[in-house]
Amino acid sequence: MVMSATPNDGHRPTTGRYLNQSKIQGALDHAQELGATYAEVRLMAITDSSVTMRDAKLERAIPGQEVGVTLRILADGAWGVHSTTDLVSLPGQIESTVRLARAVAARRSPADRSVSLAEVPIIQDEIHWTPKKDVRNTDLQTKMEYLNAIQASAADDERIISVTCGWSDEHLHTELMTSEGMDRTWSFQRSLVNATVTGRDGGEVVSYRTRHGGEGGLELIEQCDLGKLGDDARIATLRLLKAERSPSGKIPLIADRDLTGVYIHEALGHPCEADLVAAGDSCLDGKLGHTIGNEIVTVVDDPTIRGGYGAHPVDDEGLDTREKCLIKNGVLTEYLNHRETAEHFGITPNAGARAQDGLHHPLVRMSNTLIQGGTHNDMDELMEDIQYGVYACGSRGGQVDTGRGSFQFAAQEAWLIENGELTRPLKDVSVSGLTLQILKDVDGLTRDARLAAPGFCGKGQTVPVGDGGPIMRISQALVG
Amino acid sequence: MNVLPDDAVDRIAEGCRTIGQLCSAQGVQQWEVVATQSYGHSIDIEAGKISLAAGGGEGGYGIRVVEDGRFGYAYLVDLGSAQSAIEQARAIAKASPSIENFVLPSQQAAKEVAGLCDKSILSIGPEDLLEQADAILHEVSSLDKRATVVGGGLGVGASASALLSSEGIESSGITTSHGVGVQVSIDADGEMTSSYEGDSGRKKLAQVPECVSMAVDWAQKTRGPIEVSSNAHDAPVLMTSEGFSPLFSMVVPTAVRGDRLARNESFWSGKQGEVVLADDLTLIDDGRLEGGKAAGARDGEGVPTRRQTLVEAGRLVGSLWSTRDAAQQVAEGRIEHAESNGCAVRGGHQSPPHTGCSDLLMSSSKGGSSQEALLERMDDGYIVHSVMGAHTANPTSGDFSVTTSTILRVEAGQILGPVKQAGLSGNLAKALAHDVHLGDSVRVQGSYSSGSMHLPDVLLMQGLRVNPA
Repeated sequence: MVMSATPNDGHRPTTGRYLNQSKIQGALDHAQELGATYAEVRLMAITDSSVTMRDAKLERAIPGQEVGVTLRILADGAWGVHSTTDLVSLPGQIESTVRLARAVAARRSPADRSVSLAEVPIIQDEIHWTPKKDVRNTDLQTKMEYLNAIQASAADDERIISVTCGWSDEHLHTELMTSEGMDRTWSFQRSLVNATVTGRDGGEVVSYRTRHGGEGGLELIEQCDLGKLGDDARIATLRLLKAERSPSGKIPLIADRDLTGVYIHEALGHPCEADLVAAGDSCLDGKLGHTIGNEIVTVVDDPTIRGGYGAHPVDDEGLDTREKCLIKNGVLTEYLNHRETAEHFGITPNAGARAQDGLHHPLVRMSNTLIQGGTHNDMDELMEDIQYGVYACGSRGGQVDTGRGSFQFAAQEAWLIENGELTRPLKDVSVSGLTLQILKDVDGLTRDARLAAPGFCGKGQTVPVGDGGPIMRISQALVG
Repeated sequence: MNVLPDDAVDRIAEGCRTIGQLCSAQGVQQWEVVATQSYGHSIDIEAGKISLAAGGGEGGYGIRVVEDGRFGYAYLVDLGSAQSAIEQARAIAKASPSIENFVLPSQQAAKEVAGLCDKSILSIGPEDLLEQADAILHEVSSLDKRATVVGGGLGVGASASALLSSEGIESSGITTSHGVGVQVSIDADGEMTSSYEGDSGRKKLAQVPECVSMAVDWAQKTRGPIEVSSNAHDAPVLMTSEGFSPLFSMVVPTAVRGDRLARNESFWSGKQGEVVLADDLTLIDDGRLEGGKAAGARDGEGVPTRRQTLVEAGRLVGSLWSTRDAAQQVAEGRIEHAESNGCAVRGGHQSPPHTGCSDLLMSSSKGGSSQEALLERMDDGYIVHSVMGAHTANPTSGDFSVTTSTILRVEAGQILGPVKQAGLSGNLAKALAHDVHLGDSVRVQGSYSSGSMHLPDVLLMQGLRVNPA
């Protein structure tokens, strides 16, 4: 039966582990006896809670616990995978999963490259990123009070017709055991608040959303001025009610931290994912060591930035996470990779494997991605010689076609820049372009780079990410 | 080999009964237990070859309690923790606002919907899927030796579900699914083009579904971009069903939710009975569509589903309601009367029911036209087959600003050739309000909301701005 997940009576394991180590070790040994060159069992237990309040009333509150486990087996140079919420059944799936891998391998032509994995340190340990205030101890009433603080300031105008505030927290506990002897357990938390503010003025209706949070516990929410978060959202919503449609065309663009982050995530981060490069689905294939951007552009992906929404101590193949420098002064220096792609390209593994949860296998993913700061002091300096352009801020998300190298991202609000000054507010601004062109058109960055609002990234699986950077100027961007 | 164990339904129904008995023993006023259990097989394709084969299953239970008009929810995977989950749900209910006249739906007879379970899918095993993957890869290279499936995959699934409530609702069933998606690229002569296409349904798909040749076709026909004026301009756009559906599904299903209409959060708020779409257009949400992706005898809270006209001859005549939303909007005085019309949807056992659409169909009383006829009507304009960033469209206003790399320039009713990239912006509600012409081939598309979209190609003569790169 798939559903019986927990090995103990309660929700949490009494020993600190969900996996029965001796049984799992036996299963991994069995996989090797059957001819597997590598086998792993990765379990993820997520204790989470979400709260939604609409116009100061509790709409829903959902506490939950999920436990999923994935068995991944490499045999004859191909992968077989089995995922389940039923831990107990896992050892019984070894033979069928080995068969699955072999069936995949049998369909490959001799010319096809077999999967093999780069060597990595074999570690047995536990790492727990303990938050200052364990978010699991926060009761529903307290969460509602925090959300009401946003609500009260966000709703403070008769043109605001609704405010929906959300809370989300999760405690993630992962255990990984491999046939190579890796045996790691790690845990951390994420906490997030958000609000969507809807305004109406006559027939005009607009909405604006805001988020705050990251890796960590309740302290992240306590540190935030929630009243200001609501104020800012209300003011932006009211501004959007009066905003004009964006001009269209190729014009200079200044992007705030949020948009700079989404831009670099979409335009560069995804094409840098080595699984897409290996699949022939990236415009950055063969570009390592090439100059692909202006020399002022340096980009890192760093899961070790504590507090970033994409932070995590260990990747989902058991490697200690570390900073990856994707572009150094305009030169493409590194792909994000996992063990399979590191071996494929003959490069050093850099711990880029992430899985959505215990029921998904790891893919190459970003974490906290940001452009490093430049030399401009502030936005005024970036703007002063722009005769006609757009300042865009706040992200509504983005998308990329990694193969073609084209991308799009949308701003929550914007201003027209005329003669070096912000003039009229704009709405529905989106920016598109080609990765290999627009990185060269970045011609100004302020000094202060940092992560912006938390986000989510979809690639078949959804994972939390942090993006950011300084305020950025692009000399010519396709704005619509 | 069966995808789903023979006793799957019986076992989750038994689990629901166990939890229901615990609720009754605790004195819960009203309770509802749902359970899902899904199994499947899937194949990933990368770089023109099968990269991985996977299988597995997952499931769980969700408990909704309602006491004095207040509701609470919790979910679990292990029946052993049902007691604490019920206690959590009751504690949440105590903190929730009491909604006058909000009670769980009572038992009503519901007729089954055909085509939701294809028994032939239940016997599809990993080897069958591997053969299908081989056939797809072979087909792509036969259609164009330069073409490669750089990403995508295929999968089959079967899901058992059950719902049991204190009000006498007891239902269960099995649904199946089969899906294929391929990202086909042609990387030759210094130019890379690509196209993603997919097919899915409750029935077993053809060994090589039509989406495969369509992906190759669009990767081919977007090669060799022509030069066009780079000035942004308003232009008619023929959006293929594939290009139109992501925008449509972001904007329209939200706009017809009863709670959003009542709260003035929809661009169609206050327009009940008024013309909101071109006057030949009809929009139907069909919760009983044979083989529909979101169809079923009952909705997510056990209310019998129905086929519901939302827009008729351009006029807004209906809206979607679930039990709680209806009671809440009436209790808060935003609307005089509302009741559930079988439009509660769920994202699985982990979420309580909320209002949403199932399978949405758009048609025209004028019928559909061939692509040639639509192009003749368009005269000068563009064909757009896919867009990037549809999820950034604003469902509150209907405004969108997206990008496309699968766009063809049309002049004097003839396709001139592809444009490398262009921005596309406008307001979908306004663009659909006048001078809209539909194609004659309705295709089923996926949706950002629940269910699916049954849409033909759509020619929008007004309200769109094209911004070629």
